[in-house]
Amino acid sequence: MLGFLLIMKAEIIRGWIITRRYWFRTLTGLIIGYGMLMILIAGFFYSQPAIEKGINQFEDPTRATNYILGFIIGLFAFGVIGMFTQGIQGMAQTGILEQLCMSPYGLVTNFLARAVVASVSTIFYSALMVYMVVVSVGGKLHFDPIPVVVLLTLSFINLLGFGFLVGGLVLVFKQVGQLTILVRMALFALAIFAREEFLQQGWLISAFMHALPITDASICLKYVLVKGQLTNSGQFVSVFLHPSFYWLGASCVFWTFIGITLFKIMENYSRYKGTLGIY
Amino acid sequence: MQSKQLNNSINDYTVYLDNVSKTFRTYHFFHKDDVTDKRRILTKKEACAADHVTFGIKTGEIMGLLGPNGAGKTTTVKMISTLVKPDSGTVFVDGMNVEKHRKEVLSRIGVVLEGTRTSIWPLTPLENLYYYGNLRNIRGKVLKERANQLLDFIGLKDKKDIEVRKLSRGQKQKLAICIALIADPKIILFDEPTTGLDVQSSRSIKDKIIELTRHYGRSVLVTTHDMHVAQELCDRIGIINKGKLITCKPTTELLDLFSKQIFSIRLDRNLVDNDLDHLAPKIQVLETILTADGPTITVQVPEPHAERSEAIYTLFETLRQKKYQIRSIQQKQVNLEYIFLQLTGEKPVFDETNLSEQEL
Repeated sequence: MLGFLLIMKAEIIRGWIITRRYWFRTLTGLIIGYGMLMILIAGFFYSQPAIEKGINQFEDPTRATNYILGFIIGLFAFGVIGMFTQGIQGMAQTGILEQLCMSPYGLVTNFLARAVVASVSTIFYSALMVYMVVVSVGGKLHFDPIPVVVLLTLSFINLLGFGFLVGGLVLVFKQVGQLTILVRMALFALAIFAREEFLQQGWLISAFMHALPITDASICLKYVLVKGQLTNSGQFVSVFLHPSFYWLGASCVFWTFIGITLFKIMENYSRYKGTLGIY
Repeated sequence: MQSKQLNNSINDYTVYLDNVSKTFRTYHFFHKDDVTDKRRILTKKEACAADHVTFGIKTGEIMGLLGPNGAGKTTTVKMISTLVKPDSGTVFVDGMNVEKHRKEVLSRIGVVLEGTRTSIWPLTPLENLYYYGNLRNIRGKVLKERANQLLDFIGLKDKKDIEVRKLSRGQKQKLAICIALIADPKIILFDEPTTGLDVQSSRSIKDKIIELTRHYGRSVLVTTHDMHVAQELCDRIGIINKGKLITCKPTTELLDLFSKQIFSIRLDRNLVDNDLDHLAPKIQVLETILTADGPTITVQVPEPHAERSEAIYTLFETLRQKKYQIRSIQQKQVNLEYIFLQLTGEKPVFDETNLSEQEL
């Protein structure tokens, strides 16, 4: 535990120094991120099918907010998984990964601490972005702190588990890192479009959707932040009683166990192959 | 009996590799076979990086691992530092099996790997040391003091607040050494520490390595393909080629290995070709040089004392019978390059750069 906290501390200081030292890059990154997101959302709403249906969805702030939130959750998932995939590739190229591998705390603790720190800053930037974009389109978010914090934590653990799984593969097969962009894109899209209706398409599709690490997380977060925990009939039902919440919990246990186990196996295999820490 | 011997070796050495082997296997799809010139769906290639390697490093000793590129030097370092798992054999650090006590072993060793950036470039050297210190459970006042002491020791004190990306290659290498030393390890592994550095930086790093062992009692392993670095730095040298440890001896002993075997004899007149062949059956004539003072022949005599003595007697007797006058005799001191080429089975280029003279 002490090791985990020490690594977290080191990561926070490193991140803070770089953010502060390269403040111009940080600031322009935020502005460009906002601009890109607006363009992406605008492109999405004014896409061909939307035009054909003659719907200007910007006029429905609730629906717009729903998608915008999906975009942000998607970006969060994209970032967390990327920390494992592109992160490992980058660190392997710079030689930092070898140093992490030789840390007495082990690679899992190192990555866990790094991911927690990286996600805190991602959540901060994402929250800022959500606020800015939602205000831009005239929407409203129902911020209920306890469910939001619980859901974000569970979503993060879920993504971490999945990230460890993909990261384990990248440790051995560094070239897989490029392919994982497709996985990240799929999660990104799923976070945007995930709806409760998806889970009522027969047991096979339903089981597949539940198994994916972002489906239930996205549904729950949208249920709290966009719908304000109100059902279609307008009745208040806490998210903690929502079926997706339980699926999210189960998914957390499943992905964390599978992810960390596979990561350790792959780390060991990577040592055997002699590819640990190198690109 | 064998187990007792192993236990003694483990206790005698800080680092001990016991019969360690490692072969890397790679698979290639649709690879063109060099011999048949045909493509095969799946080709398996094997590269032996360590073939039953056994050696140890004592406390306060600089052990050198000398070998050409691809000989298995880096793999050996990585096996000690737990980055690579051996196929067979065991690596012991401080008496502990590295596979079973990975965490404890990693807190005892510092590694400077070749060609890696290691340090985080947007940070300063001091910030880098704080960062890596935390990763190795060094914190608070101890970390601050040690980081400053190390920068002072290595000569980077005046650069401690400059971003690493602005430092020279030699300075970055010095920082990599500080990072390896931040947890105050007993054992330090250097993989090609002076490669690509200018003479001044190289000298400075070599001095620091010597200081680490002589003054601070660290055990050091240095891998290099540079004979001069090995000769200058190491107390003991292991020569490795194609994964095999050909020899492992104290540097002075290794340098003596062929020194007593090579003689240079200046004569009054040229040798007749026929005479060369019949000088002595066990003597190998390495070269004949014509100088203004007369021709000089360089010969190699056999290694065992009795045979060497006999061969020298025969040589001089033959020269006397053929009425040659001996003007001078010199014993030649060979350098590590000559020894390395001899031991790896490559024919040494015999010139004055790998010989020094000792007048008899």
